[in-house]
Amino acid sequence: MKEDYIKIILADDDEDDRLFFTDAFDELKINTRVQTFKDGIYLMNYLNEDNVVLPNVLFLDLNMPRKSGLECLKEIKKDPKFIDIAIAIYSTSASEEDIEKTFVMGANIYIKKPSDFKTLKKVLSEVVTINWQYHTNGLNKENFLLRL
Amino acid sequence: MPARILKKSWFIKSIFFISAFIILVIGGITYRNIEDLNKSSELLTETYELNFKLEQIFSHLKDAETGQLGFIITNDPAFLKPYESGRENINNSFAELKELTKDNSALQDSLKTLNVLIDKRMDSFLKSFRFSSVGNYNDPNFRENFLYGKNLMDTIRSKITAMIDRENQTLNERQQAYESNLKVTPFFLYLVLLVSLLLMFLAYNKIISDLGKLKTYNEQLEIFKESTKQSEVISQHGNWILDIEENTFTFSDNLYRLLGEEPQSFKPTLENFYGYVHPEDLDKLEKEVHKMIKNENLPFIYYRIIQKNGTIKHFKAYAKLHVNDDGKKQLLGITTDITDEIEHYRILEERNQELERNNKELSAFNYVASHDLQEPLRKIQTFLSRLEDKEYDTLSDSGKRYIGRINIASSRMRLLIDDLLQFSRTNKTDKVFKITDINSLLEAAKQDLAELISEDNAVIKADDFPAINVIPFQIQQLFSNLISNSLKYKSQERTPEIHITYTKIKASEDDKLTKPKKAYYHKITFTDNGIGFDNTYAEKIFVLFNRLHNKDEYSGTGIGLSICKKIVENHEGYIMANGQPHIGATFTIYLPA
Repeated sequence: MKEDYIKIILADDDEDDRLFFTDAFDELKINTRVQTFKDGIYLMNYLNEDNVVLPNVLFLDLNMPRKSGLECLKEIKKDPKFIDIAIAIYSTSASEEDIEKTFVMGANIYIKKPSDFKTLKKVLSEVVTINWQYHTNGLNKENFLLRL
Repeated sequence: MPARILKKSWFIKSIFFISAFIILVIGGITYRNIEDLNKSSELLTETYELNFKLEQIFSHLKDAETGQLGFIITNDPAFLKPYESGRENINNSFAELKELTKDNSALQDSLKTLNVLIDKRMDSFLKSFRFSSVGNYNDPNFRENFLYGKNLMDTIRSKITAMIDRENQTLNERQQAYESNLKVTPFFLYLVLLVSLLLMFLAYNKIISDLGKLKTYNEQLEIFKESTKQSEVISQHGNWILDIEENTFTFSDNLYRLLGEEPQSFKPTLENFYGYVHPEDLDKLEKEVHKMIKNENLPFIYYRIIQKNGTIKHFKAYAKLHVNDDGKKQLLGITTDITDEIEHYRILEERNQELERNNKELSAFNYVASHDLQEPLRKIQTFLSRLEDKEYDTLSDSGKRYIGRINIASSRMRLLIDDLLQFSRTNKTDKVFKITDINSLLEAAKQDLAELISEDNAVIKADDFPAINVIPFQIQQLFSNLISNSLKYKSQERTPEIHITYTKIKASEDDKLTKPKKAYYHKITFTDNGIGFDNTYAEKIFVLFNRLHNKDEYSGTGIGLSICKKIVENHEGYIMANGQPHIGATFTIYLPA
């Protein structure tokens, strides 16, 4: 059975954030399938499974135990089979170093976790509906950090 | 100073040699004069003797003549005696005269003539005798012969007189020459004596004044020695001299003190000194001293010594090989007690480590603030927003009010955390200066605040800026903070207006710059028409967490302007505020040109 949905994965060690994330997609009227992992090891194990359905958008928290978001980003960008996955960095902080580093390593967008549920919904709907082809072509350091 | 003394000794030496030369000359001249005098008196004696002999000859001749006359008259042979002896005497006198005049050919010639004349006279005597022996006095031949004898006698007399006259004349001439010589000589001698006396006086004067100076130098040297001793005590160092060939040491008094001993209390030898050196450092020190002797230019030597009471001291030594004019090799060294320095250094090192720890803690705090503090706060706010969305209707009125208060408090918390983070980021040391178009930075700052600006309908007018060497993101932050500050403290009665001006100024011509470090500055002013402030707070508003207003009236954290000040200071510039209550405020920024 083939459905026209957007597959979304979030890797984040924070339970509350995973809850907000899934809640937000539940409330959004977009046909999505959301899957969450609580650290980088679980995420990479899943992605490397045979016959896995790769996500359209992968949200990566940076600070995770065992394997951090940066390490996951590095592995994913190294492997050509993941080339179509859009990667959104999803972090509490928006420090210059983190933004710079993830941009250079090939992430597609940087999201600072909002502190308001309405904004969160807005951000997430924005991100999943982005025309990635178009966005990636015009990507630069200025528009890498998502501003709403 | 030594060069000057040396020069003077040359002066004195030359005076001595000149004086000695003059005395020699005087001696020579005097000797020659005495010689002349001697010669002149000898000449006189000679002449007198000559004259005397000549007179004698003539007198013998006269005796002979008298005897002849007597014999002729009396015919008594007794009268012939003087004639016979006269002939002998004349010959003797002639021999003596010849001896006397052997250097004088003219006189000898004259003598020969004289001799011939005398011989002729003697012949005439003999002829006369022949006539007289026959008693024929009236014979005309006898008369003629007698007359001839008389004439001969006259010729001899005049000849002798002429000779004597000539001798006297030569004598006179020579004596005159000597006399003129002798007349000039005393004057010359006197003059030379005066000159040498003068020179001696000069030399004496010089020696006396040099001695005086030497005394002064000696006193100065003594003072210098004393002050060196004192400075050795104060700066805790001692000096030493090692005579390499003789292997003898000289220690300054203070070197003994540094070793914890009384000055000159033991024989200064290398071995005795090694006795104090810390056993662990002895090997190293011995090797280095060896190297020094071989004239290797060494850095400082560091080692420890142990005083008799067990105190360990840290020493630093430096030595240089010195070869004097005689080729004598000496090692001149200075040893300093650096125990205090080492102690200070250790304390400094500890402080540095402490500072480093503090810095690490601070950056850890930054991390905590940026991640760990923000995270729970963000969740509180998100849950609050969810609560407001979903459960608002089920809450009682006071519950709703509490939710509102929690919202305000958490917003403020967020503001504080954000500002603090920004402040600590401004602290960062990795500042990269870049020639940047300031206009675009201002544009970006306006973009950051676009929402606020359009909300307030604020008018921002700015001059055209040149490109300036700045830390771009910090200057953008500065502009953004100043604009948002103006908008925050806007007057409710009028539309906010911000005028931004630019001029390049000479530091010396701006009276607000009291101690400028650079000659030229970029001067940027932000003038608004907001509520302004009392100028007594002009300095205070830049202090961290300092607020002029109650936070209920204006939502500030008291960090924004502190960040501005810090940014400007990072650029080695100045920022000043000038306010007029109810009229507006002006912020002036000076950035080094």
